[in-house]
Amino acid sequence: MKVTIDGIEIEVETGKTILEAAREAGIDIPTLCYSEAFGGQGVCRMCMVEVKTGNRKRFVASCTYPITGEIEVQTKTPELEEIRRNIITLLYRRAPNSDLMKKLYQDYSCSEVKGVDPEESCIMCRLCVKACEKVGANAISTVLRGTEKRVSTPFDEESPECIGCSACADTCPTGAIRVVEEGGRREIWHKSFEMLRCEKCGGYYSTLPVREHVTEQLELDYADDSLCPNCRRKKLAKEVAEVR
Amino acid sequence: MTQTQVNNPDKRMILVCCGTGCLANGSGPVYEAFCHALEGNDQFEVETFAKATGCNGLCEKGPLVKILPDDITYCHVKEEDVSEIVEQTLLKGELVNRLLYRDPATKQYYRSHHDTNFYKKQHKVALRNIGEIDPTAVQDYLDRDGYRALKKAVKTMTPGEVVEEVLKAGLRGRGGGGFPTGLKWKACASTDDPQRYVICNGDEGDPGAFMDRSILEGDPHTVIEGMIICAYAIGASAGYIYVRDEYDLAVKNLICAIEKAKKCGYLGKNILESDLSFDIEIVRGGGAFVCGEETALINSIQGNVGEPWDKYVFPTEKGLWGHPTVINNVETWANVPVIVNFGAEKFASIGTEGSKGTKVFSLVGKVVNTGLVEVPMGTTLREIIFDIGGGIQNGRKFKAVQTGGPSGGCIPENLLDLPVDFDNLSQAGSMMGSGGLIVMDDRTCMVEVARYYVNFLASESCGKCVPCREGISLLLEILTRICEGKGTMEDLDLLESMSSTIQQAALCALGRTAPNPVLSTLKYFRDEYLEHINNHRCPSGVCKDLTEFYIDPELCTGCGRCRRNCPADAITGEKKKTHVIEISKCIKCGECINNCKFQAVKVK
Repeated sequence: MKVTIDGIEIEVETGKTILEAAREAGIDIPTLCYSEAFGGQGVCRMCMVEVKTGNRKRFVASCTYPITGEIEVQTKTPELEEIRRNIITLLYRRAPNSDLMKKLYQDYSCSEVKGVDPEESCIMCRLCVKACEKVGANAISTVLRGTEKRVSTPFDEESPECIGCSACADTCPTGAIRVVEEGGRREIWHKSFEMLRCEKCGGYYSTLPVREHVTEQLELDYADDSLCPNCRRKKLAKEVAEVR
Repeated sequence: MTQTQVNNPDKRMILVCCGTGCLANGSGPVYEAFCHALEGNDQFEVETFAKATGCNGLCEKGPLVKILPDDITYCHVKEEDVSEIVEQTLLKGELVNRLLYRDPATKQYYRSHHDTNFYKKQHKVALRNIGEIDPTAVQDYLDRDGYRALKKAVKTMTPGEVVEEVLKAGLRGRGGGGFPTGLKWKACASTDDPQRYVICNGDEGDPGAFMDRSILEGDPHTVIEGMIICAYAIGASAGYIYVRDEYDLAVKNLICAIEKAKKCGYLGKNILESDLSFDIEIVRGGGAFVCGEETALINSIQGNVGEPWDKYVFPTEKGLWGHPTVINNVETWANVPVIVNFGAEKFASIGTEGSKGTKVFSLVGKVVNTGLVEVPMGTTLREIIFDIGGGIQNGRKFKAVQTGGPSGGCIPENLLDLPVDFDNLSQAGSMMGSGGLIVMDDRTCMVEVARYYVNFLASESCGKCVPCREGISLLLEILTRICEGKGTMEDLDLLESMSSTIQQAALCALGRTAPNPVLSTLKYFRDEYLEHINNHRCPSGVCKDLTEFYIDPELCTGCGRCRRNCPADAITGEKKKTHVIEISKCIKCGECINNCKFQAVKVK
């Protein structure tokens, strides 16, 4: 199917989102809540584009809009620029402590606003929730609603589902999730984990529940193998070399 | 399209309104008292029954009691009035004058509610049975053409013909969006997926709106019949009624109605000996306003958080559990049996070019006759508020009417002659919404009104997308600032720019319409914003930080009403002499200005 994005004609498979099609064609659309691993969420609305079908023009979120017919897309218009600038303004106001938002706030020359909570860095992109879901733990989710909405464990308590993998913190674009690693322990989401030590290099690398979870999920037997990702890579490389 | 009146001269019926409004005013004991007085009483010439009905609409005058076939309506009936009604009216055939409806303007008494202005201009289609039948008695519904439309559809029409009929009628969704109902059905019926669902959206959450509640409470079978007809038309096997958990009586009456419909063979397997098998389940909402949005509602039924998703693929294609789904609002369903029964043409003969049929409004706020009204589309706001509603309370001046719930807009006096339909309201910067009409008088500050609604939306936004969650929070911050006299002209620019971003970029309709209260008040009442910002003055005397009251010595008669009503003892003055407000004591509650009969209390 043929679509036109910013005047460029592109051949697209039906069902692909505008964002995917644009990125494949090398057209950049800014996003904050999108990850290829999780697909479009339609949360941050930075990726809004203008779609023209027939005589009808409307704004859609390119990360969730599936291409099912011939459309004309504009990704950079003054109206879209204003939408994006306002979204950055709003997110900077919410999370003034985030370096990413500080930078974008400057880059987009936003209207002057005062941050609500100077300590806040979370922009509620929910990538952490998606990561946790993907890992299969489902320990965190959004809680409450309206302007109070935030990400947390149920009742803000230590969650039995959390395996301390810190995939949430690794995915977070603003460093808003607190992970403390000290004295061989990792603290995350009100929970403390004893960390595993790499038998080769001696470095701390993960938690016991993570190893159990991965073993179970992948149906692998790593029972007597306790290596950090780095040393495991080296070991594997050596094994491959030996097979040759 | 009027129905056959239950007008049997051999029987006399006492209809006691037991809608939630009247129940709250004590109609339960009134009904009990009638039952008690009639039981075993052999003095009557004809058989006499008492019946508990749904809401009659004129909640302001409740509890209401109607006597048929005499066509007498009594207002504000108390338990202790029952014996008098039995003695005077039922036995002697005389009226109890003091209980009759009295027109607030002409002071004239009316024997029947039908003759009052409140009812005369109404045209009941969706509400046709409410107040006339006992909602728990399926026979009452059957006596008024109930399930006749279903029989007609199943026995004499093909599913495609039913869809066509609804399409031809021009029925548009009554829940807010105004999408053509027939198109929805057609889209759903034309999908390849054989598993299809029908949902009734009864998550009425607008403050001051109670049309859906009244229909579910007072005539649950009409909603059920509408849904079964749709199930036949689109080939669905399961239906859900999503109803607000707070609507206790509605849920009770629905459960009862579903059970009775099953017993009668209108629900279940092989309905009316056809191939149609259909069942309905009730799902009680969790109290989130956003679940009135159809995709959030579907998420909620599925046990997920009530958050909407981008509807680039409509629920008619991918809805509940990923299957094609038709969702219509309670009032929309109530219109369906009428269309099938009397034909699309008859239905389409009511209303305007783009909006056919009638619309139910809950008329609330500073209007004399608070209640539920149903009028043909195209009736003007003036007719609704002044003719039916009886005008503004306490002889004050009309200022604005807010239509369409919290994310609707405020319409000013110069648009009062606007014929109300979907398109006109949108053009005026407001919306039909589900049909809430909140009337405001000159004691209303429009900036504060915008702040009030934005505050409501701040806690009722689902919080999923940035423009709605963060945008509303910023709008609220700015509006609060303006109400406190700390606003700037730059604030107005930011309000407008943010509002437009929310309209363009928010995920669901709730978000996209959330700035309406701000934009419509900015459009029609900008001078009030400017007064707050530039002159630090709230012209309506509502925003406390910007208000100072004084008494005009020219107009004050020294009646003492303000002094007696002042809770802070801030007003002094001798009888028949000019009164004075002591500013240091004044708490700016506005009791003086509200109570003054001579407009002598002014805002500085």
